[in-house]
Amino acid sequence: MEPAIALETRGLTKRFGGLVAVDGVSFSLRSGRVNAIIGPNGAGKTTLFNLVTGELRPDDGEVLAAGVPITGLPPHRIVREGVSRTLQIKSVFGGLTVADNVRAAVMAHQGIRSAFRPAASYRAVGERVDALIDEVGLARHRDRKASALSYGDVALLELALALAAEPKLLLLDEPVCGMGPEETERAVARIRAVASKVDVVIIEHDMEVVFSLASHIVVMASGAILAEGTPDEISRDPRVQEAYLGAPEDDE
Amino acid sequence: MSGGAAAWIGRGGLALLGAALLAVPFVLPELGYGFWVNIVTEILIWSLLAASVNLLFGYVGLLSFGQALFFGFGMYGATLAVIHWEAGFWTGLLAGTLAATAMAAVAGALAVRLTWHYFAIITVVFSLIFYFAAMSNKTLTGGDDGLSFSAPAVFDMAGVTVTLADPLAQYFSVLGVVAACYAIMGVVVRSPLGLAFAAVRENDRRARLIGIDVYRTRLVAFVLAGALAGVSGALFAFFGRYASASYMVYHVSGEAVVWAIVGGIGTLLGPLFGTALLIVFRELVSTVWENYLFAVGGLTVLVVMFAPLGLAGLWRGALGRLTAPRAAPAEAPADPVAPSADARAVPGGR
Ligand SMILES: Nc1ncnc2c1ncn2[C@@H]1O[C@H](COP(=O)(O)OP(=O)(O)OP(=O)(O)O)[C@@H](O)[C@H]1O
Ligand SMILES: [Mg+2]
Repeated sequence: MEPAIALETRGLTKRFGGLVAVDGVSFSLRSGRVNAIIGPNGAGKTTLFNLVTGELRPDDGEVLAAGVPITGLPPHRIVREGVSRTLQIKSVFGGLTVADNVRAAVMAHQGIRSAFRPAASYRAVGERVDALIDEVGLARHRDRKASALSYGDVALLELALALAAEPKLLLLDEPVCGMGPEETERAVARIRAVASKVDVVIIEHDMEVVFSLASHIVVMASGAILAEGTPDEISRDPRVQEAYLGAPEDDE
Repeated sequence: MSGGAAAWIGRGGLALLGAALLAVPFVLPELGYGFWVNIVTEILIWSLLAASVNLLFGYVGLLSFGQALFFGFGMYGATLAVIHWEAGFWTGLLAGTLAATAMAAVAGALAVRLTWHYFAIITVVFSLIFYFAAMSNKTLTGGDDGLSFSAPAVFDMAGVTVTLADPLAQYFSVLGVVAACYAIMGVVVRSPLGLAFAAVRENDRRARLIGIDVYRTRLVAFVLAGALAGVSGALFAFFGRYASASYMVYHVSGEAVVWAIVGGIGTLLGPLFGTALLIVFRELVSTVWENYLFAVGGLTVLVVMFAPLGLAGLWRGALGRLTAPRAAPAEAPADPVAPSADARAVPGGR
């Protein structure tokens, strides 16, 4: 039997004026393992995620999540197809409490849109909110405003928002970027726990994190796939070394 | 806990406000200020227009400079229903509200595709188009001169007819409708829909990524705000017994924005207090100084400079200090509807 595919792209292309940010990318990422996308700055990794989640429309090509074509759907529909993501620049609802952040996400996922009942009065939603907050380890901060959280905690909250949609596929864009060593360790542990239940594709510059989490790596450079394989294969690939040495690297 | 104490003081304040408003038509004439009953009525009515700005700006993050359009539709909907169908107060109110709601659905379907200054501009454009249309279509609207009618019935049953000409009937009809509007708004902003409003206001990109249909959420808010402005316009038509296209001009929209900001954006009753402060101020100053608008402008600038969260922000701050003297003041009470300053400072990019 063929292994299940978590995310597939076929000839995915995106141009910004004269720049081809994503250039005919085709890959098939298997389910049941952490897949990583790496590559120098400006390689087109984030743009690729934007194409998958519907925030950008591809000029050409197709995206399939778990075999279902999602190309051209608006972002809120793609979430319903089971694809969630976190952003490179962590993005939550700053003026809302941690609990209300997660509550908004759970209600959006469950399609609860009543205009008449207090949002806080939905018992089952409240329990789900608390479970998600516990899962990412933010119980202490439940009633604080998100804008008052530390950077690492914002990242964890964003993870809870992404998990609220009960995704089959989770896209993480540089989840430990900007974190200190302790926060990084905490985040990696959370991601590993999540990855046991959900397919995870991670963009990351921190090679230590990549190698500790991923069992399959796609290397991008100038919008195209440069190499693909196991961490071992990738670390020995001369083209990859060249791409990294040839381009200025800000991490490590 | 201090949060509980603050909530109780808040509830006490609300009860006091309610009692004061109920007492207005009995107490003010006794004291020789009968004229002020009408001012209070006017404040109540106009505050709904400010509330409609606030619903959009404070709760969903869309700044509209065109709410007078829906005010005008409410005004004409009610007036035309009275003139052509001999509608009473309630039917006229319904007609005005429906007219404004329908217009808001049409304008909103286009406008909420845009954000920030593009949105603000298109709301102005819409209201200008209809302002000129109403001004030139004199047979329907009466243009600048407007249309007038005589006080319709508020109650007409079992041979008893009470019209708006009865001052008490007029005051309490207006107070009842306005209070109902604030009550409904209070329910909506705490509901799942209200939470989706807040999510869209705080971060529309993240809102999309958790599965919120941002376009639809903004449209719903726009239509609700249009309905509120329509109620305001219909009530004002009944209050003045006339409708005029001159109320659809953008000055009126702009004034509503100022009232809402002075009162406190993103708070339920802020617009009421902002409207009250500025209308009372206008009444007091305009009798002694004909360039009173300068004074109004000055007062507005002062409030915005020294109380950026408006009168409601001052009230909350005072409550916070009163009930939590030793706690750090920076932490605002957990309130799902209070917007963060930065959510409104940055354009809602797409
Ligand atoms: N909205 C946009 N408009 C124009 N150009 C863009 C846009 N988004 C990205 N680009 C360009 O596309 C290229 C790829 O950008 P992208 O953000 O996908 O890179 P990345 O691989 O995620 O890099 P990094 O590791 O620095 O995050 C860059 O040259 C970038 O400047
Ligand atoms: Mg990137």
